Amino acid sequence: MIKPNMGISISPPASTSLADALFPKVRQRVLAVLFGAPDRSFYATEVIALAQSGSGAVQRELAGLSEAGLLTVTRQGNQKHYQANAGAPVFAELRGLVLKTVGLADALRAGLAPLAGQIDLAFVYGSVARQQDTAQSDVDLMVVSSSLGYGELFGALESATLALGRKVNPTLYAPAEWDKRIALDSAFITRVLSQPKIWLIGNEEQLHAPSA
Amino acid sequence: MRPGKSLKPEAPDANELAGLLRTGTARLHDARNTTLALESRFDLAYNAAHALCLAALRRMGYRAAHRYIVFQVLPHTLGLGPEVWRVLDKCHNTRNLGEYEGLLDVDERLVNDLIEATAAVAKAIQP
Repeated sequence: MIKPNMGISISPPASTSLADALFPKVRQRVLAVLFGAPDRSFYATEVIALAQSGSGAVQRELAGLSEAGLLTVTRQGNQKHYQANAGAPVFAELRGLVLKTVGLADALRAGLAPLAGQIDLAFVYGSVARQQDTAQSDVDLMVVSSSLGYGELFGALESATLALGRKVNPTLYAPAEWDKRIALDSAFITRVLSQPKIWLIGNEEQLHAPSA
Repeated sequence: MRPGKSLKPEAPDANELAGLLRTGTARLHDARNTTLALESRFDLAYNAAHALCLAALRRMGYRAAHRYIVFQVLPHTLGLGPEVWRVLDKCHNTRNLGEYEGLLDVDERLVNDLIEATAAVAKAIQP
């Protein structure tokens, strides 16, 4: 059986989020746009609109990140196009940080926050967690809850879906159903369990906790 | 709603609408029969949802090029939110995996939530 989170605060308030501790606000948003979709380029006005931040502040971030070699800049006519630089020595680490914080996990955590008391486990798996996603990839989300239904879950995830610009594809299991499938060694669950995960609620230890 | 490649204008037809509502309502009713296999209840509820959502689209004077579109336009046809249309969209994908790849993975929760979403469609479409 999966143990419930007994009164442990799961989603920290926005002021102490991982992203806020790491990066100033505008940089978070710029990184989220560019490292959230590293396979495409954006021109500055696009980044400004998507980051929903002031033009000057975004321009400064773009200039700083480009100078450091974290972004590539290409000219198309008189437009500058910016793209996450896959050749940067910290590309994979930074992309991982963005996915686990501002780019994806924070948006999903915020969406799930009102339901957190009803959720035993929640994590992202699949191509996004493996960092093999493209802009078209769904975000595969596993949720274990004894009381939630798909309707409520989809309602809660809607804002994250819109913010991420990607479809969130949740699979919801009751704890008994989850345990049963692990015990049956279903191909799907085995694959999910063996792959990288981005934890939203719960952790790897809880996953392997012995059944009561 | 603007007709594009995925939606084609086609005048509503009273007989067609009545037929879709009848089959949708009947299948939704039978989907609640817990003596049936879970897979059968899923099929019944999914087909009920498709008939009712198609009725809502046809009533507005359109036909869809693909099945899944009738679910995705629910916010426009019946004003229903993600708690309904995304559940049906998910069930559409589940159904396709079952039909085409033999991987119908349904549990009681999914079937119950599908029935609930379909019931919300049935309620919204009543004149």
